[in-house]
Amino acid sequence: MAYKPQINIIAVVDVIGALSGGTLHNGNLCLVDNAGEESTGQGTAHLRTAVRPGQVVQWSALAVDLQTPVEIRSITFLGEDGVATPATRTSAEGDGDKLDLAHWAGVVPPSLPSGTPFKYRLELQMYEGRYSVLHVDSPALIGV
Amino acid sequence: MTSETDNGGARRPIAITAVVDCVGALATGTVHGNLYFYDTNKAGGSQGFGTEQLRTRVRSGDQVLWSVLALECEAYTAIDGIDIDHELCEPERRVYPGTDVAYWIGTVKKDIPGDTYYQVRFRLGSRDEPIVTTLSPSLVG
Amino acid sequence: MAQQLAIIVLVDIGNALEANSLRDNVYLFDNMKLHGSDGQGTGDLVTAIHGAYWRDGSQATEQVLNWLPYSLGSLPPTVPRGYESERALQSDARALEELDALTAKPDATDPAADLNEIRKAVGTRVKTTRRTKGRLSGQKVIDLTGEIVTDTSAGTYSYPAPVITDIYGQAVDEKIMYPAEYGSPDLVTDGWYWSATVDSSRPGTYSYSMRIQLHRLVQRGSEALWEPVNLTCESALRVTSEPKVNGFTGSGMGLLPLDPYPSSAQGAEYFQPGPQQPGPQQPGSQQSGVQQSGLVEEER
Repeated sequence: MAYKPQINIIAVVDVIGALSGGTLHNGNLCLVDNAGEESTGQGTAHLRTAVRPGQVVQWSALAVDLQTPVEIRSITFLGEDGVATPATRTSAEGDGDKLDLAHWAGVVPPSLPSGTPFKYRLELQMYEGRYSVLHVDSPALIGV
Repeated sequence: MTSETDNGGARRPIAITAVVDCVGALATGTVHGNLYFYDTNKAGGSQGFGTEQLRTRVRSGDQVLWSVLALECEAYTAIDGIDIDHELCEPERRVYPGTDVAYWIGTVKKDIPGDTYYQVRFRLGSRDEPIVTTLSPSLVG
Repeated sequence: MAQQLAIIVLVDIGNALEANSLRDNVYLFDNMKLHGSDGQGTGDLVTAIHGAYWRDGSQATEQVLNWLPYSLGSLPPTVPRGYESERALQSDARALEELDALTAKPDATDPAADLNEIRKAVGTRVKTTRRTKGRLSGQKVIDLTGEIVTDTSAGTYSYPAPVITDIYGQAVDEKIMYPAEYGSPDLVTDGWYWSATVDSSRPGTYSYSMRIQLHRLVQRGSEALWEPVNLTCESALRVTSEPKVNGFTGSGMGLLPLDPYPSSAQGAEYFQPGPQQPGPQQPGSQQSGVQQSGLVEEER
């Protein structure tokens, strides 16, 4: 059976809702992918995307209200204790006005064990300012 | 059409419009840098157009009408209150008949010598607490 | 991902009609301040268009511009654009009811006064010139509080919203943007709006002009007419374009860094609490699983 060469994960964000409440929960973030029925949590912040070695996974962010800005600031895979590591800090980070140039995509490693969820921190930037960055630690990739 | 008609008939109300960058204000927690005031009395001597410190020239008897305009048309933005010396003006909230769109309106009660500063409280998005102006606009006699 | 860019054109209609010019009577805004737009809230806006391209040189983003003309000292745009017509119908209905009541009155002591009340309720219905027929025709003149105006000479009426009738000039001639007027079910824009797609592959600053139609209320005999007045104003687009970069690697695409502990030898240092999430917690971030890592922008 042939598998899709690329999986797309889209973060759909209610920017005004998220900034108003200071949270990406409460329905302000919907994650969806096109990985098929093996993924779980479609439309929630707890999306578990089913992936296979060799597949490309690509993330993008989209504002519900189209005219408000939202960009992915970072994606950081979490250790078993849920701590983000400095190993995956990115070059795109820290340059708020250049975040739109970042293309968040990578290849699933061949050594991926099946059945183990890899949680990641998805950090989103909405406009600029002290309340503009919010993140969730709830989504994951899972090998199938 | 001049606004200086003093024939005892109704004078054109002075409309003050607050343009709010709702997303910018929510992201920074302040309307400072995200707020632009304008009014319709430039010919009468108002100053500070496009700033947070608009100085609106008024005379006793003028009607002043405040409304808000959001840069993002989907964003809920409203005036929650106007804090101004009630000896001069008591703005009250009204809605356009048949809609839920509100404006604030008040009559200037007397001629004033200099600037009377006031604060505007804004409701933005679904945020619980209103955000108050940092710099103050004023009515000027 | 297609980004919707909005350009707001706020017109001081009263002053513009008086001066017969939009100079100093138009204020422009966009939602691209973050990307370097200049002159927000002034007549000299330069809109920043942040383009991006892939390694093979192809355009990586689609930018869509939308123009929204608003008026200073008119009914706010959140009031439905058909509002003048709706209020006209309401006032007609009220007048008919009052006429019924008047004819039913057995002892009309002062019919003239009663009729005068009805005349006030009916207000002034606007005729239009042939060119604008349909849009404003049959509406009534209402004031800034949504009430029907009976005496238009007092000048308390609200102007109809400005209408963009053309977008042209350098940016269009040089095929940087492709503007057109579109229909929309969105009543905020009266069902019509100007929109353009942008070719972000040719960096530079390009000017463009907008033709804007305002309406002046004129009294011709017993008739009130909204007479169209066409004025123009200028603005500009500043197009930049930069290459897309992979967020994980900073260059090309690689393996996903799924394993935060690449080797047991290095493992220990990764267990140290990372200094990379410094900011003090923001108020209101107690929700489980969500923390705000704000302040980073400020500290830079």
